[in-house]
Amino acid sequence: MRAVLRAAGVSKAFGPNQVLHDVTFALQRGTIHALVGENGAGKSTLMNILSGVFRPDSGAVMLDDTAVVFENPRHAMARGIRTVHQELSLFPNRSVAANIFGRHQPSNRWGFVRRREMRERAASALARIGSAIDPDALVGELSIGEQQMVEIARALAEEARVLILDEPTSALSEPDAERLFTVLRDLRSSGAAIIYISHKLTEVMRLSDEVTVLRDGRVVGTSPAESVNQDQLVRLMVGRDVAATRPDRTAADASDILVVEGLSRGRTFREVSFSVRSGEILGFAGLVGSGRTEVCRAIFGADRFDRGRVLVNGESVSIRCPRDAIRLGIGYLTEDRKAQGLFLAMSVGANIVAASQPRVATRLAFLRSAVTRATANAWLRRLDIRPQDDRYLAGRLSGGNQQKVLLAKWLAAEPRVLIVDEPTRGVDVGAKAAIHAQLQALAARGLAIVLVSSELPEVMSLSHRIAVFRGGCLVAMLDGRTASADEVMTHAAA
Amino acid sequence: MSRQVQTVDPLSLQDIRPDATRRVGRLSALVAALRSREGTLLLVIVAACAGLALLRPQFLTTANLRAVATGTIYDLPLAAGMTIVLVTGGIDLSVGALLALTGVCITLLLGSGVPVGVAVGAGFGLAAAVGFLNGLLAAGFGLPPFIVTLGTMSIARGTAAVLTSGYMISGLPESYIAFGRARWLGIPVPLIVTVLLLATLDLLVRRWRPLHDAFYVGQNAAAARLSGINVAGVTISAYVLSAVLAAVSAAFMTARLGMGYARFGDLAELRAIAAAVLGGASFSGGSGSVAGSALGVLLLAIILNGFVLLDFSIYWQSVASGVILVVAIAVDHLRGSAS
Amino acid sequence: MPPRERLRAWLPRRVPVPLVGLAVTLLVLIAAMTIAFPEFATFANGQVIATGFMPEALMSLGMTAVIVSGGIDLSVGAVLPFTAILAGLMLHAGVSVPLAIGTALICSAVVGLLNAALSSALRVHPFIVTLATMLVLKGVNLVVTGGAPVSGFPTGFTMLGQGTLGGVPAPLIVFTVLATVFGVALRHHRFWQQVYLIGGNPRAAQLAGVPVDRILLVVYAVCALMAGVAGVLVAAAYGSVSAGFGQNSELKVITAVVLGGANLNGGTGSIGGTLLGVLLLAVLYDAFTMTGVSTYWQDVVSGAMVLGSVLAAELLNRRRLLTAS
Repeated sequence: MRAVLRAAGVSKAFGPNQVLHDVTFALQRGTIHALVGENGAGKSTLMNILSGVFRPDSGAVMLDDTAVVFENPRHAMARGIRTVHQELSLFPNRSVAANIFGRHQPSNRWGFVRRREMRERAASALARIGSAIDPDALVGELSIGEQQMVEIARALAEEARVLILDEPTSALSEPDAERLFTVLRDLRSSGAAIIYISHKLTEVMRLSDEVTVLRDGRVVGTSPAESVNQDQLVRLMVGRDVAATRPDRTAADASDILVVEGLSRGRTFREVSFSVRSGEILGFAGLVGSGRTEVCRAIFGADRFDRGRVLVNGESVSIRCPRDAIRLGIGYLTEDRKAQGLFLAMSVGANIVAASQPRVATRLAFLRSAVTRATANAWLRRLDIRPQDDRYLAGRLSGGNQQKVLLAKWLAAEPRVLIVDEPTRGVDVGAKAAIHAQLQALAARGLAIVLVSSELPEVMSLSHRIAVFRGGCLVAMLDGRTASADEVMTHAAA
Repeated sequence: MSRQVQTVDPLSLQDIRPDATRRVGRLSALVAALRSREGTLLLVIVAACAGLALLRPQFLTTANLRAVATGTIYDLPLAAGMTIVLVTGGIDLSVGALLALTGVCITLLLGSGVPVGVAVGAGFGLAAAVGFLNGLLAAGFGLPPFIVTLGTMSIARGTAAVLTSGYMISGLPESYIAFGRARWLGIPVPLIVTVLLLATLDLLVRRWRPLHDAFYVGQNAAAARLSGINVAGVTISAYVLSAVLAAVSAAFMTARLGMGYARFGDLAELRAIAAAVLGGASFSGGSGSVAGSALGVLLLAIILNGFVLLDFSIYWQSVASGVILVVAIAVDHLRGSAS
Repeated sequence: MPPRERLRAWLPRRVPVPLVGLAVTLLVLIAAMTIAFPEFATFANGQVIATGFMPEALMSLGMTAVIVSGGIDLSVGAVLPFTAILAGLMLHAGVSVPLAIGTALICSAVVGLLNAALSSALRVHPFIVTLATMLVLKGVNLVVTGGAPVSGFPTGFTMLGQGTLGGVPAPLIVFTVLATVFGVALRHHRFWQQVYLIGGNPRAAQLAGVPVDRILLVVYAVCALMAGVAGVLVAAAYGSVSAGFGQNSELKVITAVVLGGANLNGGTGSIGGTLLGVLLLAVLYDAFTMTGVSTYWQDVVSGAMVLGSVLAAELLNRRRLLTAS
């Protein structure tokens, strides 16, 4: 079968970094072709080259076996290559129809928009992917799942020969993801060619016809999906065997460090009660939007709650802002490390001491650079952060190292309870294992950890107990050693 | 095949030891200092002085140099305050108008017999209140700082005009004026006070946590809050400080010129912005240097002095200020993209 | 197509509640003033209001698009006299009226282009670039005029400001035409609809292939052009112009646009709302003149209104978000 889209010997470097080496990749008509690899393997760059954002340094991109050069993304779009990026790029103040058409709103000869035609064509574009969203609704008022649907309808509004999806389910709930898969399968049957980029190997195995693995900018393997299993994929991605971590399942003793009683805020979360002991890892499982992050933020003082109380070491406390929480020994490693956790334009050292400044300052609040640097360097060594330079700009680190810096920031504050929210999101397999090991070691030393994660395997392999959330309520508390994945999912999704 | 899972010990405080002091070569330290923003500015200043001295030898006379130095007195506090506000990621367009308003208030109060301490205190208090309002609206309500301070600028300027009906008002006591014009070793006392003030502020901004936190806030306010930094407090403090520094400038200006006038400090905020940006501040927040902005003020003063010496109409000053501002931003941008 | 559906398609989907509040405030103000000063509600006073606020009204048309795009233009108050002075100097030098006006207007548009270009190139918020431009133009105005007013315009020119067509003053006709054009374009023309996209989500707009830089060039050029038109009409109406004309008018213009529902972050706003805001401010300032308040208070009021309107918009926005969740 002739390939619709092909990358032949594509190489790309950014400054001294050679990001892609001689990559060859072929996308056939009527197939879903998955692209997997660790962070930094080159998936995004390859995607950007195929969609016209960058031009390759050498090699060629071929559309129907004819070489093409995309001057810019618009050029690629005009040739039928549509991309749905990881971060939704919608206009919340505009209607669904306006979002679907963007700058190509149907208009007459003089450029005046034909509203009715626009609405009708939007409705049919949505119907084509099985969605009944009102074209006149404001995008800002839709749920994330619906917004994702609008994005896809937008990508398909014009002739789409190739559809590239970058981590499309990272913010979707299970039912929405299922709906997406159905849509993609339908598109496949009608002849579209789809590139599916994802970290979620189970999805990849279920959905795709072919899988290509990238590692360090090179293609290390391409094969039909039915001929490989997940372990083989991981091995190819990482280049070494990684056994699933079998954690220490010793039950924690000691007393409750953190007790939460009846925490509520409107419909976001209701009557949430739980406790965490010193040395225990309490996992928060549940679908996206079940209220786990909101509960954690409320405990940490980042957001308010209406009712309920929080006790630290048996004493009822009032936490009105993150500063109060930190003083009481609670730390919170946020879900979004770039927007809420790190200071990307500051040095690694400045980042590491950001939450523990009282410790590195004198009593009169003067900063001591020697202590700051020593603290930072100690953490760089302990957590194996590369490069080990406390003056290095945090924004230049890879995802895994950034996450480690974030972890260092909170550990430097010496918390008694640490809440970690999606600690390995967007982190490559190697760093993921290191962070998991780190969390277990911390628990073994007496730290109480609340682990919020959407990756069930992660929750299950680390937690002593699992709290399952659904629709803002804590619906089940399971024993981490004996609970099965099905049990957790049943509580989370029923 | 099993793999050794590395267990890493969590940190214990006893493990932290200050790094052995690394001996940095004297020469490389000097080079590093010169390549810094402050160093570059210093070089530019020297070059400007040299150029001007060649074109107009009277530049180097004591009288002229003294005039240049004295001219910086009022701009230095404004530039320092502006730097701090820019570090937090905001901007304060009201400082020039606050200067005028505070000056007018102090003059009116002193003119009606109120003791110096009370009058100056009241002026500072008024400025602090306006600064607090700026900070509250910008940080508390999340309104864009440029429009907030544009509004307070207009209100302050208008109030000063209303209070004076547009006239220059006098009536300041001799003792007050004498202080403004006092000299120590030939240097005006206000200049000495201002330089000391700025040196202290520079140290505090680099080393004192409440002010240093401004860098975190300007970089990423959300992350700063979640790291336990009092973002609202830092932001409001920055605006209050900026306003109080404008009041300092006003106190000196009224003392030295012996009057209050609603049009004092006209366009001063723009010179302050230019100086701060020259000194390393950026509009996206998270960077800036008080020492750098002081050098920026000096550079601007030399350029404007050059205008006078070269017989350019004073109207060109406004044009020049605008152009310098654009140049400063361009330089800042180029440096940013180069790093 | 049934006529009702046709109409429905052209009206904004929702008329924002704040606009209704604005309209009510306006009516209350007019009512109060008419009770206190019967001569307020006369045609003559209406003309005074119209001509008095004409420059700001014109500038607010262009400013609406700028604010919708997520930017701001602080230089309009200096572009106004700049254009008029330029036209005046050319007329003095014997250039024909159409050529003088045309060239002056082109120059004002060029200033707008410069604003947009510098802002994109230096990756800096337009407020600082337009602040600098304002500074430069202010100085240029002063340098060129030496601080003295420019007058002696030929009748061919002053006719634009003082002439009438069927009893309606020429400037008002110009304004009505421009306001209609802007209103229709911003709401129904594909090119101008992209301005809402740029203001709503600049990154998404870029990814969607919107030529952001090119569109912004047009937006800022048009805004400066409106200031230029205002300058020409003012000079024509008064027969002279000085460097100080239009000072502080940018604040009033921004207030009018914000009152009309535009968010300073971009993405929302409309000509209809802006016109309501313009009307409210025009009536307000006329009320000041009538009640004999000193002009020095105008700055205080301008500032307070800007703060008040931006704050009110923010609070209303928050309440709307709160009730929506």
